[in-house]
Amino acid sequence: MANNEKGYLALVLHAHLPFIRHPEYEDFLEEDWFYEAMCETYLPLLDIYERLTRENVDFRITMSLTPPLCNMMADPLLSKRFQRYYNQRLELSEKEVVRTRNTQFYDVARMYERKFKRIKELYEDYYHCNILEGFKKFQDMGRLEVITCGATHGFLPLEVRKEAVYAQVKIASDDYRRHFGRGPRGIWLAECAYNPGDDVYLKANGIRFFFLETHGIIYGSPRPRYGVYAPVYCPSGVAAFGRDMESAQQVWSAETGYPGDHRYREFYRDLGYDMEYEYIKPYLHSDGVRRNISMKYHRITGRVGLNEKAPYNPQEAREVAASHAGNFMFNRERQIEHLNGFLGRKPIVVSMYDAELYGHWWYEGTDFIEFFLKKIHYDQQTVKLVTPSEYLGIYPDNQMVQPSMSTWGDKGYNEVWLNGTNDWMYRHLHKAVERMVEMANRFESPDGPLKRALNQCAREVALGMSSDWAFLMTVGTAKTYSTKRFVEHTHRFIALYEQIMGNRIDEGYLKDIEWRDNIFPAIDYRVFSTAEADKAAKS
Amino acid sequence: MTSSGQINKDNISPGSDYKSLPEGYGSTEAVLLPRDPNWMFIYWEITANAKAEVCKKHGADIFQKSKQIIRVYDVTATGSVDGGDQKYFDIPIMVDAKNWYINVQESGRTYCCEVGLVTPDGRFIGLVRTNPVKLPGGMVSDVTDEKWMSVSSDFEKLLQLSGVEYIGKGSGEVAKSLAQRWEMLRAVFSRASSWGVSSLSSHALGKQPSVNKNFWLVADCELILYGATEPDACVTVSGRKVKLNTDGTFSMRFALPDGSMGLPIKAVSNDESDTREIEIKVSRTTHTDGK
Repeated sequence: MANNEKGYLALVLHAHLPFIRHPEYEDFLEEDWFYEAMCETYLPLLDIYERLTRENVDFRITMSLTPPLCNMMADPLLSKRFQRYYNQRLELSEKEVVRTRNTQFYDVARMYERKFKRIKELYEDYYHCNILEGFKKFQDMGRLEVITCGATHGFLPLEVRKEAVYAQVKIASDDYRRHFGRGPRGIWLAECAYNPGDDVYLKANGIRFFFLETHGIIYGSPRPRYGVYAPVYCPSGVAAFGRDMESAQQVWSAETGYPGDHRYREFYRDLGYDMEYEYIKPYLHSDGVRRNISMKYHRITGRVGLNEKAPYNPQEAREVAASHAGNFMFNRERQIEHLNGFLGRKPIVVSMYDAELYGHWWYEGTDFIEFFLKKIHYDQQTVKLVTPSEYLGIYPDNQMVQPSMSTWGDKGYNEVWLNGTNDWMYRHLHKAVERMVEMANRFESPDGPLKRALNQCAREVALGMSSDWAFLMTVGTAKTYSTKRFVEHTHRFIALYEQIMGNRIDEGYLKDIEWRDNIFPAIDYRVFSTAEADKAAKS
Repeated sequence: MTSSGQINKDNISPGSDYKSLPEGYGSTEAVLLPRDPNWMFIYWEITANAKAEVCKKHGADIFQKSKQIIRVYDVTATGSVDGGDQKYFDIPIMVDAKNWYINVQESGRTYCCEVGLVTPDGRFIGLVRTNPVKLPGGMVSDVTDEKWMSVSSDFEKLLQLSGVEYIGKGSGEVAKSLAQRWEMLRAVFSRASSWGVSSLSSHALGKQPSVNKNFWLVADCELILYGATEPDACVTVSGRKVKLNTDGTFSMRFALPDGSMGLPIKAVSNDESDTREIEIKVSRTTHTDGK
């Protein structure tokens, strides 16, 4: 296409789940979050990239795959359990095809059968049971830009020690290299939480850009000349891209957002509740409690009770997704034309979303993305899709601005992660970090069990830093689980710390928690040392 | 435990409750954290030894006869409390509260706090001091560069285009959707709490955060439908064929959501000459006290 575009659009999907892996149980409910996201979001997205590539559609998309997610994707135990998960779903969908024959639900049952077959085929035949292969493939083609995130999605503005901030970025960066064969060019700061000055640690790790919520940019100083429609350079020279709220609202507003269309699939009406108990029991967890099993046969219908929902029509829903994609494109064209005239330069519109909202929460959301990428390619010339790296290649000169502290959480700052439900965590977390730094400064070249214990301490303190625990406490869902996780990692850290400092490492204990919390196999605890963080700050 | 939803008391080992974490770490220190442009959170620990030292120096009853406060310094100019004459204000507290939310009128400034005592004659005895925290300004910067000046009249319009009215709102939508990501737990257990859990006021003295409230109640019900007919009859419930036991009895278990549902039951004799029908209508309403 010729160079006559009026501006750019960067579509950014943030894919993340906390590290949930419980080898000590045969069957663990919260692991389903991962399996569902695999089936509903990650693999369907890769399927889209496969199809578009086959059709020569030149698309661009940016995705963060957080280190916990990459570690889960690469983990053999979770892979085996994921295979069990989709094989069971496939079996159920085959039964459902028989059960629903000659009913109005037959097409939907067939859809699930095809879907799970395709999941199996992609996962096993295309990506050899490690879907990171898929993401790497499209990254190497230049169509997908995979960025990293803090090591465990740590919430950086509430860390008081700079060593902790540095360690989150450094561990992530090393882990990224292990999976993708080169360093990350960009990072998604967990919860878009930015603390002025933290960008120096990004720079030290070769990271060139990150993303901010709108007010992080427009409350920056001096005033950003182009608002959020051009990136700014932090004092360190790392670029910050700001979120465009117009496109965010268009998709996710409760009143006007696309996913509420009454022809789309209803999330809350689920076969796990609809079917007779004995029929559905083999597909529930071993506790036998009814839960959603992600097979749903009804559409949103309207404001009616769950038992009055009308049957789902997959073909009709796909057509709606296509028309929403058309509408979204039309609005971006108008937006970019308008901005171009107003700014006197080609704007970049950055549309950022949680990846799991597409496919998992909004079932047709992945169709929407596919239609959108195709329409942008075939049907217009106003908007050009770019990755942030490409954009910085085109526009290397940008205004220097110190962005403001900000997050994308409710009210725009830190309250979601610091309030009466979770503020008790921080004294324990900070103490663990302080002790970790103390040990990293003290032990220079240990070997044997001491080295292993120190590395495990680094894993435990990193796992405790996940913003997910505080988030789940705030929203009140999975609160027991998140509390337990934070407490467990803190306990394990304290136990190992005392063993190390008392020179009495219990190897049996160490081995047990190495087996449980096996994230970051190549971690080096020295990333927590003061000297490393200082060196990074000066680089 | 098998899951968060599954509150299985037998499987929660005693070491897993958050109360099992140490009460303190044996060192006197205080940390200040930023929450938003006008709020900070401080936590502190003052060891028995440190208190004893103060008593030794200032008298055994010094804690009783003094006002216990947090002194909040504005250290924007110097970066530290030691730099000279800082503006400050005091918040009365109890030293044993161990944490507090602090409201400041001026955003965008750097603050540092000190937990301490004010004696009856007005002297200040500092017990422990925090790190400095720079709060965000929470508004459009009034710093403009030269280049900017030429287009500044358009800035209001640019702000509108940038979605300034959505600040802190659009993100709530995303967070809500995120919460729904954990949807599978909703059956009985997830009681999606509202935002605004915190703390426009600090915790009342001695009042524990709500996580301390371990008292809880969950309840749900399912529906078991049962009956019997001739063992060779054909029985359907809501049009779906039911497998009979050898003695002609049958039972089914259904989820029972709020609302009403009808369950038409139909039995047809083996020779299809006879039919019996029963329809059961069930309705369920759930009320909670919202706590």
